[in-house]
Amino acid sequence: MPDPAHDLPVLAPNIGYPGSAADLAEATAGITAAGPTRARRPLGPVFWVSAGWVLFMILLAVLAPVLPLTNPSTQNYSAVNAGPSIHHLMGTDDLGRDLLSRVIFGSRPSLVIGFFPVVIGLLLGGFAGLLAGYRGGVADGVLNAVSFVILAFPALLAIMVVEQFWQPVALSKLTIMFAVVATPLLFRIIRATTLSFANREFVVAARALGARTNRILLRELLPNVVPAAMAFALIAVATAIVTEGALAFLGLSIRLPNPSLGNIINEGVNNNLLQSNPYIAVWPSLYIFVILTALNLMADRLRSAFEIRDVKL
Amino acid sequence: MARYIGIRLGQLVFISFLISLTAFLLVHLLPGDPTTTILGPYDTPSARAELLKQLGLNKPLYHQYWTWIVNVLHGQLGEAFTTKQTVSNILAVALPIDIELMIVSSIIALVVAIPLALVSALRPNRLFDRSSTTSTLGMLALPPFVAGPLLVLIFAVSLHWVPATGFDRLSAGIGPNLKSVILPSIVLSFGSIAVYFRLLRADLISTLQEDFVTMARSKGLSTPYILFRHVLRPSSFSLLAAAGLSIGSLFSGAFVVEVLFQMPGVGYQLVNHIYARDYLVVQGLALVAAVAFVVINFVADFLLTVLDPRVRRA
Amino acid sequence: MPTSFPDVGSIEGPLLEVEDLRTQFRTPRGLVRAVDGVSLSLPRGRTLGVVGESGSGKTVLTRSIMGLLPGSNVQRSGTVRFVGHDLTTMSPTELRDVWGMQIAMIFQDPMTALNPVVRVGRQITESLRLRAGFDRRGAQETAVALMRSVGISSPERRLRAYPHELSGGMRQRVMIAIALACGPKLLLADEPTTGLDVTVQAQILDLLAEQQRERHMGMILVTHDLGVVANRTDEIVVMYAGRVVERAPTAELFAHTRMPYTEALLRSIPRLSEPSHSRLRAIPGRPPDLAANLTGCRFAPRCPYVQDRCRQEEPPLRTAGQGHEFRCWYPVGSAEGDSALARNVAARVPAALAFTGTPVRDTAPAVSPTTAGTTAQGAQGS
Repeated sequence: MPDPAHDLPVLAPNIGYPGSAADLAEATAGITAAGPTRARRPLGPVFWVSAGWVLFMILLAVLAPVLPLTNPSTQNYSAVNAGPSIHHLMGTDDLGRDLLSRVIFGSRPSLVIGFFPVVIGLLLGGFAGLLAGYRGGVADGVLNAVSFVILAFPALLAIMVVEQFWQPVALSKLTIMFAVVATPLLFRIIRATTLSFANREFVVAARALGARTNRILLRELLPNVVPAAMAFALIAVATAIVTEGALAFLGLSIRLPNPSLGNIINEGVNNNLLQSNPYIAVWPSLYIFVILTALNLMADRLRSAFEIRDVKL
Repeated sequence: MARYIGIRLGQLVFISFLISLTAFLLVHLLPGDPTTTILGPYDTPSARAELLKQLGLNKPLYHQYWTWIVNVLHGQLGEAFTTKQTVSNILAVALPIDIELMIVSSIIALVVAIPLALVSALRPNRLFDRSSTTSTLGMLALPPFVAGPLLVLIFAVSLHWVPATGFDRLSAGIGPNLKSVILPSIVLSFGSIAVYFRLLRADLISTLQEDFVTMARSKGLSTPYILFRHVLRPSSFSLLAAAGLSIGSLFSGAFVVEVLFQMPGVGYQLVNHIYARDYLVVQGLALVAAVAFVVINFVADFLLTVLDPRVRRA
Repeated sequence: MPTSFPDVGSIEGPLLEVEDLRTQFRTPRGLVRAVDGVSLSLPRGRTLGVVGESGSGKTVLTRSIMGLLPGSNVQRSGTVRFVGHDLTTMSPTELRDVWGMQIAMIFQDPMTALNPVVRVGRQITESLRLRAGFDRRGAQETAVALMRSVGISSPERRLRAYPHELSGGMRQRVMIAIALACGPKLLLADEPTTGLDVTVQAQILDLLAEQQRERHMGMILVTHDLGVVANRTDEIVVMYAGRVVERAPTAELFAHTRMPYTEALLRSIPRLSEPSHSRLRAIPGRPPDLAANLTGCRFAPRCPYVQDRCRQEEPPLRTAGQGHEFRCWYPVGSAEGDSALARNVAARVPAALAFTGTPVRDTAPAVSPTTAGTTAQGAQGS
């Protein structure tokens, strides 16, 4: 239960994925700093390869309309449930549609809903969290209470209900809904991170030297909060992708026949298709697995690169 | 101590109130109303007006809310439009399924995560630790709607070890019951395993660096004893908090699993009634699910104070 | 197969013999030589004081003697013979047998050394039950007796207390009770009074002395405070930067100090007899970085007697008779030492000026590089 008394920003709502909220808690547990975190270990090839992969997938999604892909809606009855071949690299589904293009076009809503709400959340909520964490005061209390209220209700549930009752479904509406949840979440996380730094000696020292608030924010706090914020943001993106996928699987996101990774999997599970044509469910699953792994690895590397351990002698 | 409980209970009540408000507003503030669904082909303006009056939907919002809340507090959560089944009834049937899922998946998660974390924390960054960390990271990339179909494909469709869908009640025998529950529980446990493992491992590693562990070693106590009697308890706080979140979220988040495996638990019912735009049931179930989440976290919090004597003073 | 140890009364020869003990830590900064060739010996029933400032390696020394070092990134060499058995060659299981029963350690900070979520009573009885074979009842009674003997009032009630519910002095007494529970032959007390009130400090030290006498234990008392070891030890070893720089029977050390570092330590103790507002005579500068390659005497940068030879050649341990060893080219109280000091004062070496209390004048010429300390930090203590 969200507890304002705890420093842990573990106030993430259950977004339909058990453990996703606690994952954010755990992300906090990893980041400690005994001082300015300028010195750090290198991020390593794992980070950069994963980042490259994510970028690649984003590019594919963004450029999908101009790539030489078969139209994802074209039904080709002569090639129904075909396995992978030269013409159809991933095969076709039960309506003869090319799976590769369906997966790539299906990644578009997933990625949009993965990234945009988190970006909005960072800009709005993260920024507010930074200020609130450092300044405190009435505004902090109010924002805290508001985010508390928003996060108290299970997010996936809320999104499902709103989505169904607020027809017609649109990507923009979904983005807004996710942003409404992401903003207080990131607010609280960034606020707690800022709080954990704001009382450290190097900030107190800066204050004692007469530095003005803005300067302190920019020079002392921001460089320390940013890596933490990035790590959380990556996890938030992963969570959002999972949530959208779950929604799509339940038929509550972008509606068929427009593809979204989750609803392709749903198609692949119905009508005994798992038996006859497992590819329909497998390819989008693989896509999700890869991108989630990449995002999680990136977040993990960030955490261990900026973690400072005390060497006990 | 009693004062602390009192304060927390007060918070609980307040949050429950907020949740009920949210559940109500979510459904009522959106455009569109359920009359179209209920009336079906008999949708005429007069029939609509009549139905609206009957359902009390033409009254002001606060009035509707008040009526609903009063009913809820009397134990009447409403009934479904189409089946006329009361929400309480739906819950009574669905809840045991969720409870069983929760128990089995928690057991699986803990039985896997705790030993892995213990061994990894004792020899950090060696082979065992690295492979455990990697495989649990992989579990984070297997959300229910991905892991579910894959596991069904392997174990139900190809190997025929367990049924792909459906729930067999305990009354039908423990064997079929477990078989129908095992796959969804495994799917549900993935996320928890990953989180429990990483939290516990991190806490164990940091506790193992504490002075009192060195002191315990200097007394000549054996490693298993030190682990279980000195280290595990102080390290389990994050785990407990996470467990509270995980378990609580089950009641309001296992939608995918229940729909995929056709297990008629609370999530399944919620989803179906959302499809049917049966707002009353959705309101009622959402309220119950969200309050359950909050209560479970409250209990986890309470247990935390029991485990850590330092917090008890608060 | 557990090693068998004779009774305390029938031990012949030294209780503990340490030969050329070296402990090194592999850190990102390099290899830190925390203990760099320490040898000492402790007869049964005697107390050895180990004195040094923070970073001198004294805590690592006690851990190295016991073998209680973290597993990775640590290298230890040398021999540690306890009642004739070499601890450095024992397997972890054999070593565990020794810990608690034969050798016990008292840690510096009882707030962190006691498990905060375990009741104090159990932290005492677990040794009794698991190592000394007491049953539950016997362990409880023994624990109560132990607590009483270390001066804890109403011990039955305190058994059930948590560490944070006790005062600092009482926590330390609990630690002592835990250490003594299984009747060890050797007690390693690592800064047992740091952080306690002065009055409580005296009580704790008296307690340790009394227990040691009654049990015929050997004790190593590690501290940075010379005042603590003054009347309570038979022999004192002074450590600096991982090495032993002076060793002598206590009275001899105070009467005929040889090593300038020891002299500086003695002088830095404030005395009630001095007028108020007297300046504290701190030792200027800081201990050297143990990861760096050190040449010459390690105390040279801060030494008032320093000469060229000191910076180039590290002095070996030399004997001054009566079990007194020291490591210095220009020892205190010798002709060479006195003239070295005079030369340094004339050349305005900051450490010498601080030592003699001569004020530093702003218009003084810069020190010439041949006689000045290279890392002089000024007259203020660090």
